[in-house]
Amino acid sequence: MKLAALARPLAALATATASISVILLALGASPIKVFDALYDGAFGNWVVFADTLTKSAPLLFCGLAIAVAFEGALWNIGANGQLLIGAMSAGALGPWLGAWPHAFASSALLVAGAGGGALWGGIAGWLRARRDVNEVIATIMLNFVAAQILSWLVHGPLMEASRAYPMSTPIAPVAELRLYFRPCRLNLGMLLAVTLALVCYAFLYHTEQGFELRAMGRNRHAAAFFGIDTGALTVWAMALSGALAGVGGATHLAAITHRLYETLSPGWGYEAIAVALIARLNPLAIVPSSVLFGALDNGAQAMQRTQDVSPVLVQVIEGLVIMTLLAFDTTAWTAIRDALWSPQSTATKG
Amino acid sequence: MLAAKAITKRFGQTLALADVDFCAREGEIHALVGENGAGKSTLINIFAGRIRPDYGHVTLDGATVGAGSASAALAHGIAAVYQSPMLFERMAWEENLALGGFSSRHFNLGTVVTDAAALAGELGFTLPPPGTFVDRRSVAERVRLEILRALSFRPRVLILDEPTSVLSPAQLEPFLHLLRRLRSQGRIVIIVTHKLAEALAVADRVTVLRHGRVAAERVATLTGEAELAQLMIGDVALPHSTTCSSSNHGATVVELLRVTLKSGERTALDEISLTLRAGSIVGIAGVDGNGQQELVEVIAGVRAPTSGTVRLPNLDDVAKDVLAVIPQNRDVEGLILDLSLWENLMLSRSLRKRLGARHGWIHRSRAAQLCQELTKRFSIRGRGPDALAGSLSGGNRQRLVVARALAAAPAAIVAHDICRGLDLSAAAELRGRLRDYAAGGGAVLLISTDLEELLAQCHRLYVINRGRLTEVQAERRDLVEIGLLMSGASR
Repeated sequence: MKLAALARPLAALATATASISVILLALGASPIKVFDALYDGAFGNWVVFADTLTKSAPLLFCGLAIAVAFEGALWNIGANGQLLIGAMSAGALGPWLGAWPHAFASSALLVAGAGGGALWGGIAGWLRARRDVNEVIATIMLNFVAAQILSWLVHGPLMEASRAYPMSTPIAPVAELRLYFRPCRLNLGMLLAVTLALVCYAFLYHTEQGFELRAMGRNRHAAAFFGIDTGALTVWAMALSGALAGVGGATHLAAITHRLYETLSPGWGYEAIAVALIARLNPLAIVPSSVLFGALDNGAQAMQRTQDVSPVLVQVIEGLVIMTLLAFDTTAWTAIRDALWSPQSTATKG
Repeated sequence: MLAAKAITKRFGQTLALADVDFCAREGEIHALVGENGAGKSTLINIFAGRIRPDYGHVTLDGATVGAGSASAALAHGIAAVYQSPMLFERMAWEENLALGGFSSRHFNLGTVVTDAAALAGELGFTLPPPGTFVDRRSVAERVRLEILRALSFRPRVLILDEPTSVLSPAQLEPFLHLLRRLRSQGRIVIIVTHKLAEALAVADRVTVLRHGRVAAERVATLTGEAELAQLMIGDVALPHSTTCSSSNHGATVVELLRVTLKSGERTALDEISLTLRAGSIVGIAGVDGNGQQELVEVIAGVRAPTSGTVRLPNLDDVAKDVLAVIPQNRDVEGLILDLSLWENLMLSRSLRKRLGARHGWIHRSRAAQLCQELTKRFSIRGRGPDALAGSLSGGNRQRLVVARALAAAPAAIVAHDICRGLDLSAAAELRGRLRDYAAGGGAVLLISTDLEELLAQCHRLYVINRGRLTEVQAERRDLVEIGLLMSGASR
């Protein structure tokens, strides 16, 4: 079964590679060189690999946020807004923590980020539970609201002292998350994210609350018959989901940008939907899945530099990878897999 | 003549049908009987083109029907009504019927409504007002809609899978009459059923399936219930159901006081007062859709009553922990089909507690062990605790729901239509288990459309009609009296 589980994404990657090669050949580029550059840019040496991991962290946070919500059949499309609100909470608090010890100051930023994200997700959850507002619409709208609030903050109340640039006052240096492998920007954020992946896995698959959430996601009606308060659970799960994305935003701010910009997130919250779906919402599988996407992002820049390929092509590659991975996740594939692997597994069973 | 020759079908390791020959002639009602898992559903699915046989073929009047194509089967005039409703829940009933054969050329819902109403009138029932969504209707009404839809194709062959299990006695006779009328028009009617008396009453011939093979074919007038039961089950003796015994009134476990529930304009429950006591079985008879579902939901705490109270004296006020519900629609309310067997057991809070879910941690291995014990004790045939509940057959799913309810050792069990679609021995076994549970001090509320089941099981019996409850006094317990109450006649 282990082998079968791996075969699916590998076959998908092979198909994606083949189709991308065709496109590259049609464009007159050498697929081997392009892939080589892509790989080198993502995994070529420790520095770029560390950078790949850094780029993966926000995707991992948001991917976990999406997995937790989706497991409860709560279609949270608002991870991006929740991440921004988390970053804003941290960015607003950060400049005031100069007198705090490092450990407290940086933790305070993360807590503020979680709180902000939880509030933003919780609003959508409350609207769904109490007012029957479709959470897809609510979260998408809240994304716009969050982006506009960010824009207003960096042009207004939080604008840096010289009032020259649309960015906020930097957070107190003592609150920054340290970078351990300069010049690359690897920080505690990725470690925190991986830890949270383990926590999310334990939560979903080993705790009563996680179990109730999954039960609700599979059959909301039946869940009510077993005394699960679906309304409360909806608010709660959306808040948790928002908190995960919010911590991601706060981490990014504390470690990398140190201040708020309008362009803080390139759309991690949306990309993370693909990250989570490809991992079949399994928090542990979201770790490699987010690294795959981080590597594509990171490698693409190198590819662009050395092979003179359009950055748009990277998006084409990402799109093809996602589609093939999902296309291989079908019943047809399951049937092939069963035909190939199940005779042995039933034989061993007895 | 509809004929099947040497049909063989295998699902994985299971041989569902082995070399089955079957034939039904014009102007004949042919009953297909057999236990759960005997292969009845597979066979009719092959007729209807939903399943392609591994071997063998189906012919209608000598012409081979394209295997594995539902549209080919329909084009040949083979229409089927399945046991689990195949309706679009979030669509109005006339829209559902418009997908049938009522509006062949022009999409005109008005014609569909009039045509359907006319046909329904012939069948002896009325339809809800146009625009009513299907998900608002009871199981019985849904099945009726499906029969209408199938008939709208004006089929040569009409296949009905367990059609009568949700019809009331009052509806049954017109329905059987309709089947006879269809027969007199030269149609072939095939009904799949567990109810041998019905099969014998209406069918001309009966085919008995056992373990995927044809055990026998009989002319209805030349056989009897005993012989058919014997053929179906093989050599296992049927457990006898005991007759109604007098109740020893124990402590009150659940008490409903003037419970009223309004949903929209409709009064679903009308001032219902009811007491469940330890050690006794209370029955509620009634035609489906008269408030039974709402009653279960109110007791289970899924819906709050508009007025009145549900009390659970002497116990925590957490209804979910002292009550186990066996809902009517096991696939939608009783189980979560995308979860594994052990996870479905863990849906019960009291079971989780019993396995020591401390600090919210679920003990997976203990749950799997409990699952193994229960599957053994209740002879649930599945592929281990990690198999999805959706992979079980209907009867095994029902056993799982009952096993979970009993294993949780609740103070009361609310059982709604527990024997629906079960074969004789499985039904008798489940009834026996409920009786044992009551004898051991449990309180049972048994809601059913099966009067014989209720008469045999219950210490007290009520009839529900349009949300009102009427008690049937012990001395007046007979089918005629209850039938009158169910149809809303006042005494």
